[in-house]
This record gives sequence, C-alpha cells and structure tokens, in this order.
Amino acid sequence: MTLGLALALSACGDGGSSASSGSGGAKSETIAIAADPLEYINPLNENGSPGIQVAMAMFAPLVTTDPNTGKTVNVLAESVTPDKTSQTWTIKLKSGNTFQNGQPLTAKDYVDSWNLTAQGSNGWKNNGFFSKVEGYEALNPPTPDGATPKPTSVKALSGLKQVDDLTFTVKLKVPFSQFGLTLQYLGLAPLPEEVRKDPDAYKRKPIGNGPYKLEGEWNAGDDIKLAKWDGYKGPNAPAADAITYRFIPNADTAYNEFLAGTVDFVDVPSTKIKTFKTDAPDQWVTSESSGANYLVFPAWDARFKNPKLRAAFSQAIDRKAFADLVGLATPATGLIAPDINGYRADACKVCSFDAGKAKQLLQEAGGFSGPVNINYNTSSATGQIFAEAIGNMIRQNLGLEVKYTGKQGSEITELADTRKLDGLRFSGWGHDYPSIEDYLTPMFKSSGDANFSGYNNPALDKVLAQGDAEPDQEKAIALYQQAEDIALADLPLIPLYAKQNAYLHSAKIEPRVSKYVGVSALYATFK
Amino acid sequence: MTRFVARRVLTAIPIGVIVTLGVFALVFAMPGDPLRELAGDKPIPAAVLAAKRAQFHLDQPFIVQYLLSMKDIVTGNFGTTFAGADIADQLRLRIPVTLKLTLLANAFQWTLGLFFGIYAGFKRNGMIDKSLLLATLVLLAVPGLVAYFAAQYVFGVELKWFPVSGVLEGFPRSYLLPALVIGLLGFAGLARLMRTSIVETVNADFVKTARAKGLGEQRVLWRHILPNALLPVVTFIGIDLAGMFGGAIITESIFNLPGLGQFMFQAIKLKEGGVVVLLSTLAFGSFILINLAVDILYGILDPRVRNV
Repeated sequence: MTLGLALALSACGDGGSSASSGSGGAKSETIAIAADPLEYINPLNENGSPGIQVAMAMFAPLVTTDPNTGKTVNVLAESVTPDKTSQTWTIKLKSGNTFQNGQPLTAKDYVDSWNLTAQGSNGWKNNGFFSKVEGYEALNPPTPDGATPKPTSVKALSGLKQVDDLTFTVKLKVPFSQFGLTLQYLGLAPLPEEVRKDPDAYKRKPIGNGPYKLEGEWNAGDDIKLAKWDGYKGPNAPAADAITYRFIPNADTAYNEFLAGTVDFVDVPSTKIKTFKTDAPDQWVTSESSGANYLVFPAWDARFKNPKLRAAFSQAIDRKAFADLVGLATPATGLIAPDINGYRADACKVCSFDAGKAKQLLQEAGGFSGPVNINYNTSSATGQIFAEAIGNMIRQNLGLEVKYTGKQGSEITELADTRKLDGLRFSGWGHDYPSIEDYLTPMFKSSGDANFSGYNNPALDKVLAQGDAEPDQEKAIALYQQAEDIALADLPLIPLYAKQNAYLHSAKIEPRVSKYVGVSALYATFK
Repeated sequence: MTRFVARRVLTAIPIGVIVTLGVFALVFAMPGDPLRELAGDKPIPAAVLAAKRAQFHLDQPFIVQYLLSMKDIVTGNFGTTFAGADIADQLRLRIPVTLKLTLLANAFQWTLGLFFGIYAGFKRNGMIDKSLLLATLVLLAVPGLVAYFAAQYVFGVELKWFPVSGVLEGFPRSYLLPALVIGLLGFAGLARLMRTSIVETVNADFVKTARAKGLGEQRVLWRHILPNALLPVVTFIGIDLAGMFGGAIITESIFNLPGLGQFMFQAIKLKEGGVVVLLSTLAFGSFILINLAVDILYGILDPRVRNV
C-alpha cells in the first residue's frame, strides 16, 4: 500500500534527469565535484582541489600553461621578467583588465592581496607560497608551541614593490629560476579593495576577474552556479555559457549521478577503475599522468641506511604487475612525472624487476634484520590491498618477513615528520607548477616541505641551488636532472608508478585533454 | 506528571555530561592531526597551523577543550568548523533534512510494520503471516550499505523513478527512495514484534475473560487487545526513533542528503571534537525527549505505570 503511494508520488515528477540539459540550447554543463560543498570562495585561502577548481573559473592567473605546447603563456601578465640572477622578478600587467565589479585591475591589487596572505596571523592557506619572498619572516615571526600568532606591526613583504599602476617587482630571498612558472597558481589571484577590507563579508559573493561570475545568490551548502562574464579579455576563454559545480561528497554516488544523466562530468572513483569503460562506453577520457607515486624509506631507521639495500627493495618490486593492480597506471622509471619538461624515461637504473639481482644486492648490503613494516592509509579503500601487494613481493623476492600497520593518513605524516614512523610508507606528489624542480625541491631538498623520507644530501641541495640560480631554462633543467640522478643513486624513496586519472563526460561535451595540463571539464567543447 | 518530567530531565543532565565527555574523549583519542587531515598531503606553513590551532583551542589540554566546547554549546556560540563553515548555519540547513528523512522513513516503517504485524498476528499461520516471516527474515539479513547502493542503482540510475541523490527536487521526492529503503529495512523487526505481541495478547486470560463477559469483538479488539499488545511496541518505536540518527550517518552519505548524519560523518573524519560533541548533545537531547514521550504514552496506555 505504502509502496504504491510512493510510486504514485514519484511519477508526478519529471523523470528527474533534466537538471543539467535544457535551458534553451545554451551551452551549459554541470560538473560533479566529489567533495563537501565549499564554505567560501577565496583563492588565497584555498589550496584544495575543489576550491582551486572553482577559482579557475572565476579568477584568471597571471600566466598559464598552453595546453597544446606546454609553454608558459601570459594571461593577465604582459610580461614576467627575471633579472640576471633570477632573484628579482618584474611583473607587468596588461592594461584594460578589470574586476567583476568594474574596478580596474592594478599592480596594487596584487601587492596588497599577497601581503594579506603572507600575514601569518590571518591563517590563510596559501601563506606558505610567500616564504620565498624577502621579508616573509617579519610577517611570520616564530610562535612558541601552542601560542596564538600575534598580528605583526609589519604589514607588507619588503620584497614586494609596486612600481607603477601596472608594474610590480618581487624580490626573492634566494635566486629562483622557476619563479615565473609558479605564477600560474590560482592561489595568487588578486582580491579587489573592498574584499581585502573585509574578506569575510565577501566569502559567499566573491568578486573575481576570470571568465565566469557567480550567478545569483550562493548560500552555504548550495551548488555553485556560474555565468559567463563579458569582461574577461584573456586568451582561450572556455566555451560554456553557464557552469554548475555540484558537490556530491560520496564519489560512488557522484558516479551514479552521472550514469543517471544528471551531471555532465565526473571523476571516476578508484572503486570503478575496472568497470568505467563498459559503464559509459564512448563517454570516458583518461589523463596522461597526474603525478608520481612512491614507496618511502625512513631515513631515521639505521637498518635502511645502505643504498644497496634500498636498491634491492626497488628491484624486488614488479612494477608492471603492481601498476596493473592499481589500474590505469604506468610503471615508473624515474622520480618525475612523464608529462614534465626534463623527464627522462630511463633515469632510474634500479627500477626494473630482477629478483636475482635484488637478492644479490640484499646479500651485499649485509641482509636486513627484523620484519619490514609497511604503513598504509586506512581511509583509502585500496591502502591495505596495495600494501599487501608490495609486501608479498618483498617477502617472495627477498625472503624477508613483512608486517602491515594501518593508520590514518595524517597520523602517518605526523609520525614521519617527527621521525618516529616505523617502516615504509606510500606517498605521492603532484606538481603545483609544471617544473621538474617542483618534484625535486619539496621531496629531496633537506629542508623540502614534502621530504617524507627525511633525506639529506648536501651535494643534492647544492645542485638544486645552482639550478635555481640558472636563468637559462635548458641549463637549469640539466642541473635539476643532475639532482635527480643524485637522488636516484641514494634512493631515499622508490618510484612506483605514474597514475592516470579517468573521467566520464556526457555526450554533449568533449572535455579538453592535454598532455601538459590534464583533462579539464571547464574548457570542454560543446557538440 | 510534572514532577515525573522534571525528575527525568534533571537526571538527564549528569548522564549528558558523562556521555558528551566520553564522546569527546573518544574523538580526542583518535589518531592523527585534524588540521593535517584537512590539508591532505600538502604541507601547511607553521604560521597557519599555529593560527588555526589557537582558533580552535587545539593547543589546550583535553579538559579545557571539552569545557570550551560545552561553553560554546550552552551559550549557543557555535563558531565555525575547521573548514570554515558557520556551524549555526549548518544546523539550520541540516536539521530539517534529517527530520524530513527520519519522519518519512518512520512513517513507512510504522505503517508497514503495524499493518502487517497486526494482520499476521490475527491471521496466524495464514498466507500473509508465512510470507511476512520469510520476507522479514530476508530483510533482516540484508546489510544496509548494500541495500542503499543497490536501491540507488536500480531505482535511480536504471529505472529513473527517483533522483539518484541530493535534495534538488525537494520534499518528498528527493527523500522517498532513502526513506523507503530505511523504512523497509526497519519494518521487519517492528512487524515481528507486533505479531508476537498480538498473538500473546489474543491468548491472554484477560481477553478470554472479556469475551466470556460477552463483550463485542470490536470492543475486545480496541479496548483490550490493542492497548496491551502495543506496550512493548511503543518502547521499540521509541528506541528506534532515537537510533535513527546513527543510521542517518550512512544513508545521508550515500544519498548525498545534507543532514546531520553527513555532518557527523565529516566531523568524525576530520576529528572535529567540538562538532561531534555538539551533534552528540543534540542526539542525546532528542533521545531524552523521545523517551520521555514514550513514558508518557506508556502511562496513557497502561494506567498501572503512571505512578512508578
């Protein structure tokens, strides 16, 4: 009886599958984001994927990577010029650009927005970006453990200088030849003056300067509806007239929404890697690569100290079989993702599977005492499966005893940071800007902020610094490759695979697929 | 009655303190740093971490953190989540969603459970009774997680009778499918209890006496059988209603309903002690209220318990 009532009620609806299509043939698309709804739109306080994805639509970067050539092209910048030492950079803006409230976009907007973010007491997430700029310490004095950072009397980075209306300079603490590439990061977007005065008042009605603006009211928990903004004059404007970002926290549910026809674009969750091609024939695309994945040794554990032992572990792993298990992955042969300028396919000499060689290397290294512990992330659906796959290879090919520890990801990071983690862990890295340097500095420089293995080699630090100071990009890349070779000889971590991402798209759109910048629904073309 | 209610509410306070303190301790003991969890693998600058730690009192000892959280709850000054969401806003947004889902699911469950339970109890060993036993056995054996995803796929994706997820199509359309699945899964226990209770009551001496006195069948049914048979069922329904919140954590996540359950799930995932305790307090408060209502209803159904 009740069931009958429910069906009758549901039949009154319109079939429930026309949410995204329609609206008079206009080019509109609905993009599913498998994450909790955003709480605010402020690119300077946002470094996660959903926030930056929305920022990409509403804000324009200074420069960007050309999806066809991989070269850096100007968007809002007229020019980005380093001095002879790559330490002071002059950024000139194109004239005539405005914010969505009509105010002209000036160099002051950048300088003031960046100073606001660099102020540690504001607690904005992109604060760390400015640690390279001269004067960062004055805005971020060391705070004793447990104390609240106090607002400093210093409100501006000494390295940021406005020259005229459209020009400003950035002086870095040390030379950095890749700084120009970092300017494509949307976490550096400028905020107009009224937003800077009271960022909280504008957290749900952002004033951007990109191809799209907010359409109508936006409240907490809502999907984000965007409409094309006529004032955007930058290169390669997206084709859609309207875009809706729909937040669906459960990734499997988001996938089901796509199959039901209510969204036009969705990430394939890890649980569907084996089935998405048959679930949505002719409506899927994959990206070439989205970063690199590693197995990390703890440098603080003396048992792992010998590079020969680490090479033995590396050669005991059948990367092909492991990549097949992961699905949509390419076995790694170096430390850099394959789509990066400077990547060498054969950089790693000990990344091929050779059980005999592995055993021999283990013997030469004097063996290994005690069980090998593999830490895996319990909040990942595949964490334990991957750990056991690697563990089995180590057990079978090296004859070592293996055990497994499941922990929360943040706990693993914390233990590694405090040099207390016992055994191996998985990690991955995706670049923030397309430079070989962005794989080496964070992970292998002794002070790198993603140096999960606790690796420290002054020789590598020195070559990295030389690359940072080399204005000629080709020469800089050669120096960075030297650094990669040093890291590969020491092998503080083992490259495992480069993961591809998969996406489903509806029949009415064709997402942009680029070797250099991956798959983008924002820049889809319409059929 | 007033004294009874006042006594129940007063005794709830120390229990509430123990419950919330226990929940807070559990969240506190969870491994991992919530602020790091928020950032994923990306490093956060020390200055930002320190600012956030201070903002959320994470630098304080356990008991101070608990007291500060309780103070926020009592004063109604909820603040924001780690991710920056205004908690009062979130409650305004989410309480109606969970209420709609819970009430609709319970409406299904009670209608089905009482109807089939009573019918099967009276027509014992009939076709309906036998099919009910089999059907409830099957339903009790299905794990919720499987049922929710299966229902979503069959009725949302394939047949398109219901929206797959979300609340875009409003009440009741967006809530029907999850509420139906919860209702169906929950109805089995209720129907079985109702059936057994009816069977026991029908054969009880006082019913035989009533019949022997020559009372009409209608009067026996409405005045003697049903009030007595409903007693254990009222308790069951009370506990069940109060327990719906726990079930909502899974349902709301799968059907993407922005309710309290989903909020709780995120809060536990991110180790947001303050939010978890706030939601636990809400759940505890509603548990006390529902139990109070059950007790009052009990008194109406059975005058003997009024002065206990």
